[in-house]
Amino acid sequence: MSVKEKLKRVLIEDLNLEDVEPEEITDDMALFGEGLGLDSLDAVELVIIVQKHFGVEIKDMVESRPIFESINTLAAYIEANLS
Amino acid sequence: MSENKVDTSSAVEQRWTSRSLGSFWQHQSFYLLIRCGGQQAAYLLLYCVVFYYTLLPSIRRKCSYYLSRRFHHAGWWQRFWNSYQMNLALGKVLVDRALVGILGAERIEVKFHGKQELMDLIAEGNGVILVNAHIGCWQVAASVLDFVETPINLLMQREEGDIDRHHFEHSGSECPYRIIDPRGHLGGVLEMLEVLKRGEVLSVMGDRMLGHDKNGVDVNFMGGTVTFPFSAYKLASATGAPIVALLSYKVGRNSYAIKISRMIKVPGNLGRGKEKFIPYVQEYATILENFCDEHPFQFFNFFDMWQNESVD
Repeated sequence: MSVKEKLKRVLIEDLNLEDVEPEEITDDMALFGEGLGLDSLDAVELVIIVQKHFGVEIKDMVESRPIFESINTLAAYIEANLS
Repeated sequence: MSENKVDTSSAVEQRWTSRSLGSFWQHQSFYLLIRCGGQQAAYLLLYCVVFYYTLLPSIRRKCSYYLSRRFHHAGWWQRFWNSYQMNLALGKVLVDRALVGILGAERIEVKFHGKQELMDLIAEGNGVILVNAHIGCWQVAASVLDFVETPINLLMQREEGDIDRHHFEHSGSECPYRIIDPRGHLGGVLEMLEVLKRGEVLSVMGDRMLGHDKNGVDVNFMGGTVTFPFSAYKLASATGAPIVALLSYKVGRNSYAIKISRMIKVPGNLGRGKEKFIPYVQEYATILENFCDEHPFQFFNFFDMWQNESVD
């Protein structure tokens, strides 16, 4: 399973996104606001999910802002930091 | 004089504004009096200004949202007097805040109850969340937090065009705290998470919803339902940072006190649902209600927190 596929699956499970299937989440869909519809506090959950399921720690939150834009950007960060 | 009047243009998202009620020249008059005659001179003008404002029905109405719940059976004169007391308490706090900035922090004595407990919490290295409220004067109180070597970060929203000055602005010095703007990217959540991961202190207001923040839960407060933010509790759950309420209050003409509450223990990994955080926000609301019992005129929320519920 690719990082993107796993990411979509764990987002749905851990964030309890009801009535959303992995294939409905496009790679360039915005995670916050319009798009997937996450709110600001879900960013906390995203940080935890990335660490819990991929073992990747997001160290500099402020510098890492762009990675929270979409599945594409988040998956790219995870792939670049997988040990 | 500063107050928190209802902003009808965006009442759905935010029912208050912290913009000052007084004009630029009214503020300058107080600052000049403080420079020339100190606290006493400024207080003399304050008594007159507050009396004038209390005569205005619109001002008394803004006091009444809280006062009618705190003093259920007050008659007309008592309500007028209570409004005067509440406005005067706020005015004194604002004068004292300017006094600290203009003439120096040594003009006000501040006693800190729980200093060692706070130091112990910081030493644990998980960061500490201080939940503040619009009570007493956190800025005067914070002027004695210089013993805390760990950086202090404030989640603070400043109104556009607000002419009211913070204490450090009077002396032209740099802000002693790092300000996190809730109108920033993702409501400043990533910055808040970052400072807690670094083991720093994060101070947030626990009694008002900021801007377009929808992260609030309904809790019981003074016999009604209010919406308080739960972001701090979510961050505590995610990071393991302890939460304590920071309570500041004026105890004498030149003296304030700060105390920290018992720790609010938020379990780890509570997850996404807002309802899971209600017990901890309720714990804070109860702490705040107890504060209002002890210091009835030092609660400075001049808007309808109870969303038009009738008083029982």
